[in-house]
Amino acid sequence: MAEASTPADKRPRVSAAERPLSPHLQIYRPMLTMMMSITHRITGAALYLGSLLLVWWLLALATDARAFQFATDILTSWFGRLVLFGFTLALFTHFMGGLRHFVWDTGRGMEHPQREWLAQATLVGGVGLTLLVWIAAYALR
Amino acid sequence: MSNAPNSLRTPLSRIRHLGSARSGTGHLWAMRVTAVALALLLIAVTILMLTLVGQDYNAVRATMARPLPAILMLAFTLTAAYHMMIGMRTIIEDYVPNDHQREWALIGNALFCGAVALASVYAVLKISFV
Repeated sequence: MAEASTPADKRPRVSAAERPLSPHLQIYRPMLTMMMSITHRITGAALYLGSLLLVWWLLALATDARAFQFATDILTSWFGRLVLFGFTLALFTHFMGGLRHFVWDTGRGMEHPQREWLAQATLVGGVGLTLLVWIAAYALR
Repeated sequence: MSNAPNSLRTPLSRIRHLGSARSGTGHLWAMRVTAVALALLLIAVTILMLTLVGQDYNAVRATMARPLPAILMLAFTLTAAYHMMIGMRTIIEDYVPNDHQREWALIGNALFCGAVALASVYAVLKISFV
């Protein structure tokens, strides 16, 4: 009770390191379930910026043939294809991560083996769908 | 003890100061509804985009001016813009501890997502009607 009557700036300072801290990321060994959870947030943030690609493409198509040709030339260059590949990989990985959340929303898939299986399925499904779409795109070209 | 049926404390006083209740389940529900819509729309958009691969300007524009692709693209971009806004809002709330910076970041987030939505709508409508 004595402390309460002392003004806050007169009390002895306790340094941040002395205070008990709850364990955070650096304490844990990286696990697949944890990495896929982080991946869901990172791919979401990447798609946030990536949405500009779709907006740019739509605006170019709405403008005229020259603007569309300019956008197509950049998007189909080796660098453009690399960016688009990254965009589709983020898109389908985030899509699979979303499906994983739907499974959890039903109350299923929370036990250790299912959790592990779902994390693997998210990764394999995301990469698999991306490759499938790119193979289809090259075949239809 | 405070939860005893004959307690004189009001329900409000019992839950007060027990934690933040800034948005409750509203955010989760909005995230799930938009996610269900986007999962279905993404499949359709992917198929649409694959049909456009290698096509020239006139062909792509003619396809995108048809009702189904245009409505599909409007639904996809508008739902995505809203999903993006509430997702990024959570990221900002988690990682920006300074109140002032966080509020500016949240304003920027809303403006960015609004601009994405409006630019997409403008482009799709222009392709359809001009």
